[in-house]
Amino acid sequence: MKFTIARNTFIKKLNAVQRAISSKTTIPILTGLKIEAEEDRLILTGSNTDISIETTISTNDEEAHLNIESTGAVVLTARFFGDIVKKLPDNTMLLEVKDGFQTTITSGASEFKINGLDANNFPHLPEVDSQTTITLKADVFSEMINETVIAVSNQESRPILTGIHFTIEGNKLSAVATDSHRLSQRVINLPEPIKMPEDIIIPGKSLLELSRMLDDEIDTITLQISENQALFTFDETLFYSRLLEGLYPDTSRLIPKESSTEMEFEAPELLASIERASLLSHAGRNNVVKLTINAANKQAIISGDSPEVGNVEEEVVTKDIVGEDLEISFNPDYLKDALRSFGHTSIKMAFTSALRPFTLVPTEDQENFIQLITPVRTF
Amino acid sequence: METEVLTPINIDDSRKIIHVDMDAFYASIEMRDNPKFKTQPLVVAHDPRLTGGHGVVTTANYIARQFGVHSAMPAMKALELCPEAIFKDPDFTKYRAVSEQIHQIFHEYTDKIEPVAFDEAYLDVSEDKKGLGDAVLIAHEIQKVIFNETQLTCSTGISYNKFLAKMASEYSKPVGVAIIEKDDVAEFLKNIPIERFRGVGKKTVPKMHELGVFQGADLIKMSENDLIHYFGKFGYTLFRWVRGQDDRPVEYLRERKSIGKEETYGKLLTTEMEVEERLRVIAKNLLRAVLKRQKHGKTIVLKLRYGDFETLTKRITLDEFFQNDVETYYFYAKQILDEIADISRGIRLLGITLTNLTDQNFQEVSLPLFKHSE
Repeated sequence: MKFTIARNTFIKKLNAVQRAISSKTTIPILTGLKIEAEEDRLILTGSNTDISIETTISTNDEEAHLNIESTGAVVLTARFFGDIVKKLPDNTMLLEVKDGFQTTITSGASEFKINGLDANNFPHLPEVDSQTTITLKADVFSEMINETVIAVSNQESRPILTGIHFTIEGNKLSAVATDSHRLSQRVINLPEPIKMPEDIIIPGKSLLELSRMLDDEIDTITLQISENQALFTFDETLFYSRLLEGLYPDTSRLIPKESSTEMEFEAPELLASIERASLLSHAGRNNVVKLTINAANKQAIISGDSPEVGNVEEEVVTKDIVGEDLEISFNPDYLKDALRSFGHTSIKMAFTSALRPFTLVPTEDQENFIQLITPVRTF
Repeated sequence: METEVLTPINIDDSRKIIHVDMDAFYASIEMRDNPKFKTQPLVVAHDPRLTGGHGVVTTANYIARQFGVHSAMPAMKALELCPEAIFKDPDFTKYRAVSEQIHQIFHEYTDKIEPVAFDEAYLDVSEDKKGLGDAVLIAHEIQKVIFNETQLTCSTGISYNKFLAKMASEYSKPVGVAIIEKDDVAEFLKNIPIERFRGVGKKTVPKMHELGVFQGADLIKMSENDLIHYFGKFGYTLFRWVRGQDDRPVEYLRERKSIGKEETYGKLLTTEMEVEERLRVIAKNLLRAVLKRQKHGKTIVLKLRYGDFETLTKRITLDEFFQNDVETYYFYAKQILDEIADISRGIRLLGITLTNLTDQNFQEVSLPLFKHSE
């Protein structure tokens, strides 16, 4: 194998694939990056047990200046190789694999010889032979991931809750995540309806990596689903993720239908108040703040008491308060995450009682996006 | 050399503190219960000839100490130093019971008791319950009552702070009473070797010697700046201690730091199924103990001992509190076990400890996601 390529194009692709490569893996060859040269293209592949990423650079890509002199394949230790490529002196680099997978990397006056591995020992990527292809707007899907992934559980004791649950029916795609203390649900419309309904759970960590790859230049992505894999395709990149097995709990019944107290405010206003209150709750032992609503006076007060450090109290700027008086305590971090996911918008918060979950929805779009938070019982 | 004081030294000698240290506690209990040990070198440790050389000395009696045996030494080393020594397996259940008995005696004088170990405690007797008003008198009485009730001897040190009280009890060992008053401090510490200062261990000693610090008299010549430079926060502390300042209170309300449950098996566990079953039982017992004390914790520790007494522990710490339920404890304990254990070697002991504890004065409400589970 022998080729030359423009280093900046190569680095961009390398960075993408490296998202799937971990230096801590039980399978040694997976610490490596697979490079494959075909007649008219270069394929880079990285994989861990959860995700695999494959990306292609074509000889037709003008910026890449790719020139393949001979075909072949090799696996190179990713971190090491990545560091070398990023520090090479010239914009053009030449890579040549000789006998015994010894690989020479030449750029300007610099020449590296590193040991490679046989690409035949690299695992094959999963086969996804799905009939259904779902087309998604990249920016909307990325937003959907970021809005829901905050509620994914970090505790491995309930593996299924470490994923986002997607259900697709007709032209509606819904995403739900919950760690049992909060829940986040977002529904979007698909450009085209699909024939068969789908129901999958994708690990939150995979989706977070995916969303980081979806930059402004990417317009649409497609999703194909097989029995245990989801395959996202965009530009010249294939992104595979393992699916989580099992039955996701029925979350629709958890969202309260009615409320006894409602409060409206601008998300950034409440976020700022909560951030201030949590300065003390974080320093103290108990990460809890209290919201006291006086409906008659249209007054809402956030307070935090951490006996070891001190206490804080402030009145929240609200647009409206209706219903009954209420005193409710909760983990401020959950509310912070939820509020950040809304950005600059007007929010309606609805409560039923001090020990029941409360919800937040954008005032403009109350149907398609909801954040739910459970309160804290204080003794 | 002139010392440069960064922060003022303020000596408050208004407190009356007694440090009580039982003399060769475990060994003394064993000698009391089995008088034939009294005339022989006794080492409380698993016999290294039976454990394949594992284990450390918990205590040795004064006869064994004459051979150079001391606590925390590998049992194998003790055997080399004193081949005729008797090795006695430690019986912690018994030692704990005796320790509780002794604490009952302390409580007759004060409730401000800070236990350091089974055999060691600080007592703040600035105000004593019997109104004796004199720390020396109280120390003598405590020694006498402990001896009458348990036939065990102890050493006591009296001073106005914990550091000096402990120094005094070490000085008075065995069966003594020593008192250090404010004006005696410099004279007393002058000749104390640096390694006898609490907290000066294996790592610190060579560094001290390099700096020419061999005893109290050398330490007091060190500037505060230098001590902080070489030893960090501990240097700041040492600078004060050697001048007789130690404001640490006797922490009689000290929080429990951990709650643990463990089981020992006469017949070693050798199958995954047995281990899982026992681990679940331990998790259940642990949950009961945790709920009783209304705590929750962020760290779970698994302890495991093989048939040959090799003992492993490993911990997992989360940012959030572990849910107090059997499944959660079991899951994480099992996860550690899978990582570190070789069940085929035969398991003698299993334990799960919840630590990094806080009072559970709040509880996050959970969504009923899974039926039966919450």
